[in-house]
Amino acid sequence: MTRFTPGRRQILAGAAALPFLGAAARAQGSQRYSSLNMFIPAAPGGGWDGLGRAIEQVARQAGLVGSMQFENVGGAGGAVGLPRFVAQRRGRPDALMVAGAVMVGATLTNKSPVGIRDVTPIARLTEETLAVVVPANSEIRDIKGLMDALKANPGTVAVGGGSAGGIDHILLGLMIKSLGRNAREASYVAFAGGGPAQAAILGGQVKAGISGYSEFAEQIKAGRMRVLATSGEQRIDPQAPTLKESGIDIVLGNWRGLFAPPGISADARANHIRFATELNALPAWKQLLETRGWENAFLAGEGFDEFLKRDIEATTAVLKEIGLA
Amino acid sequence: MKQPIAPAGTPGADLAVGLFVMLLGALTLYAACAIPDSPLYAQVGAKAVPYLVGVILVLLGGGLSAVALRGGWSRDNEEAMAAPPTNWRALALLGAGLLVQVALIGWLGFVIAATIQYVLVCAAFGSRRPVRDLAIGIAVTLGAYLGFSRLLGVNIGAGVLEGLL
Amino acid sequence: MDAISGLAMGFGNALTPINLGWALLGCFLGTAIGVLPGLGPALTIALLLPVTFQVEATGAFILFCGVFYGAMYGGSTTSILLNTPGESGSIITALEGAKMARHGRAGPALVTAAIGSFVAGTVGTLGISFVGPLVVEVALKLGPAEYFSLMLLCFVTVSAVLGGSALRGLTSLGFGLMLGLVGIDLQTGQPRLTFGIPELLDGVNVVLVAVALFAVGETLHLAWRHVEGNQEVRPVGRLWMSAGDWRRSIGPWLRGSFLGFPFGVLPAGGTEMPTMLSYYAERKLVKPEHAGEFGTTGAIEGVAGPEAANNAAAAGVLVPMLTLGLPTSATAAIMLSAFQSYGIQPGPLLFTQQPVLVWTLIASLYIANVMLVVLNLPLVGLWARILKIPTPQLYAGILVFATIGTYGISNSVTDLVLLYGIGIIAMFMRRFDFPTAPVVIGMILGPMAEQALRQALTISQGDWSTFVTRPISLGILLVAVLALSGPRLWGAWRARAAR
Repeated sequence: MTRFTPGRRQILAGAAALPFLGAAARAQGSQRYSSLNMFIPAAPGGGWDGLGRAIEQVARQAGLVGSMQFENVGGAGGAVGLPRFVAQRRGRPDALMVAGAVMVGATLTNKSPVGIRDVTPIARLTEETLAVVVPANSEIRDIKGLMDALKANPGTVAVGGGSAGGIDHILLGLMIKSLGRNAREASYVAFAGGGPAQAAILGGQVKAGISGYSEFAEQIKAGRMRVLATSGEQRIDPQAPTLKESGIDIVLGNWRGLFAPPGISADARANHIRFATELNALPAWKQLLETRGWENAFLAGEGFDEFLKRDIEATTAVLKEIGLA
Repeated sequence: MKQPIAPAGTPGADLAVGLFVMLLGALTLYAACAIPDSPLYAQVGAKAVPYLVGVILVLLGGGLSAVALRGGWSRDNEEAMAAPPTNWRALALLGAGLLVQVALIGWLGFVIAATIQYVLVCAAFGSRRPVRDLAIGIAVTLGAYLGFSRLLGVNIGAGVLEGLL
Repeated sequence: MDAISGLAMGFGNALTPINLGWALLGCFLGTAIGVLPGLGPALTIALLLPVTFQVEATGAFILFCGVFYGAMYGGSTTSILLNTPGESGSIITALEGAKMARHGRAGPALVTAAIGSFVAGTVGTLGISFVGPLVVEVALKLGPAEYFSLMLLCFVTVSAVLGGSALRGLTSLGFGLMLGLVGIDLQTGQPRLTFGIPELLDGVNVVLVAVALFAVGETLHLAWRHVEGNQEVRPVGRLWMSAGDWRRSIGPWLRGSFLGFPFGVLPAGGTEMPTMLSYYAERKLVKPEHAGEFGTTGAIEGVAGPEAANNAAAAGVLVPMLTLGLPTSATAAIMLSAFQSYGIQPGPLLFTQQPVLVWTLIASLYIANVMLVVLNLPLVGLWARILKIPTPQLYAGILVFATIGTYGISNSVTDLVLLYGIGIIAMFMRRFDFPTAPVVIGMILGPMAEQALRQALTISQGDWSTFVTRPISLGILLVAVLALSGPRLWGAWRARAAR
């Protein structure tokens, strides 16, 4: 009863001299939602936000969605936004949240009352390889140099990244652990968002930084940061070896996907999964993944449930092992 | 003209303020104790600053209480001393306006809750034309609602009335 | 390409009828949302993002820049007239602005805010065009240690708003620090002072607290002491600034502008800190004959300076975005994602790879700035008429707008309860003569200072000397010591010289 029909919205928006607002909805394919609330448990500009807005771009052009409203509630690897999403969108069939690996770790580490188990998994969409970078003028030349410094004394190597206990932090912990040292010795500096973290790396405030490769890509291209290694199975940057190639047996990906609030009906869930599947099948989506340099990691429904269960188990084990959970 | 002194203008009221600030400090200290220990960042952890703020508030509250026991500071505050007596009717109407908003906005929606609030607040400040206030209230809140929802796509609390639109 | 020829090309592109139309629409929308509490430029641009699917890049960015600058202009209006700041950068403007309005000087306050915004916008845009890349390189030299020292410097400014009693002023500050603690801790992820309420996990919104303290508290206090039939008469007074107002405003405009811009460029700077510092500076620098107006009838310097600082900082925020591709504020982050939806990857190479777009965008900032001052000055008379609304309807309207700003964006009843609860506390603070401004200052600076402190100590491995061994940090600390003790030493020296 609170939803407007798309046609009506369009007319009113048009009458208000903002004709562009409703125009995209005109291409009526098989519309899944007349209006969709996209919740981003991170500040605008980060990876989850980028994915959410990319979905908007493609889904609206294809007419899968009439209109989309965004809500950004950032902080603590999504642990700030998640409870709000759960509390405010419970049972609503027109709400989705972008989240991923970072949130799994963050909610476990924080022992927050609300976890990723409390939302309804819909689909995994992308996976991003992490990159270990240093400022361009750093004396650390390669991944071996960094590992040597970490082995000597992890405390002297300040590493910047996202929130405490997040995937960036976990990768650092695993690297230190692989040297036979305790991950607690790490000198990890949590920054609120990509902007301040990148600024700290560029300015040499921290010795190294860990985050998604795409966040650093432009800085690497411009020669302001040097990439030491990436965390995937395969090279993403021909210049940079993977951790595995460098003899460090770690493969870690920052996957991102869609979640629905708890308490939705089976029909609503099926509708969400159809939406994700149809989105993934669009040529425009493939094109977009390519331009942005995101790896397609589509997995929906039962498969995603299984993956998530295993991921939570694995992450819990890892966090315990490195003394964070 | 000498105004009757408000009952709140006694050292007792000042003491209550001092005690309230100490209570806030104690609450902060209590909450700080409840923060789980983290194995990370032993130098300045998650608890240090809350403890500090709690202690500061307790000390300041103690200081205020001490001043209150020596006669308080309100007697030097001309504005408070010369203030007209408490207007219980206005406060009650305004308080009702706030309560109505909190209680009804999720249930009846923004337009109805805010209109009732508008009429009650007008009445609190001595408006004697509730019907006109009601009309203005509906116009203002409906205008705000439509402006937000139609132009910007922001939902500011849809309810019964908004659903009909 | 050098800045002059870049600008020439930019103006050539921006001065087409269609692009001017986008700029005008943006300025209009921006002013409108700036006037409404709670709706900031970041949210508005996010809501306008679908434009990027329909319009070519230049037009869209001109629109966004108009919204961004317009919101900064509009934000001061409600601060001055209704004591209801629309965004965190306008909170300090409300201190003197609302007092001026209450004493029949709403017109000059609005005019000095508008012209100050123009001056600061121009200074800021000149800064973006000519020294942006330079300043940002300096800004990158500042790490958490320097930020912590900067916060300490800003804490000095609290002394300007403590009011009659240090004990009560510091209590207000302590209350603000306490409110700032609420939420999940960034460095460890532990929830603090949330008392098991999930809505508190993301902390308490500072604009909500400012509106509660200034607007809701004032309304409640008025009702408490309301005398039936006793209508408050609010004089509107003259609308334009007098020659004396001009003389008193020019210095604060320029100081605020030059203070604000570099703070905006800082990756973790923002618009709040320079407004506080500007307010402190103006209060200390004011001519003795006007000093009594601060905190009583409202001093025009206290509006001109912070408002200019706010706008110059807002312009500065665009520098790290354009030169390095760093999203250092919510608005910049949204604009970056708009770049990406055009397939433009913003980064250090943006200026060389997209010179046409970047310089057109910068040129449109100049244009938006001129448009806004032309749009806003004639509106002053109209805005000031808001004060003619009878007391009951005016205060009822303020409460309803405070509610829209709070509930509209978050849809959270918890936020409403907080708004009214803190409003009730503010009513008692008013009665017992506690200043409200330190609460806001504590709330803004407290969390920033704590995080910077802990980041710095993690980097230095727990070595506290990092704050004095890093030269820039030491310099800032010395300025803070000077600001704290300077006026006293100066006074003592003058007293001795007079003897």
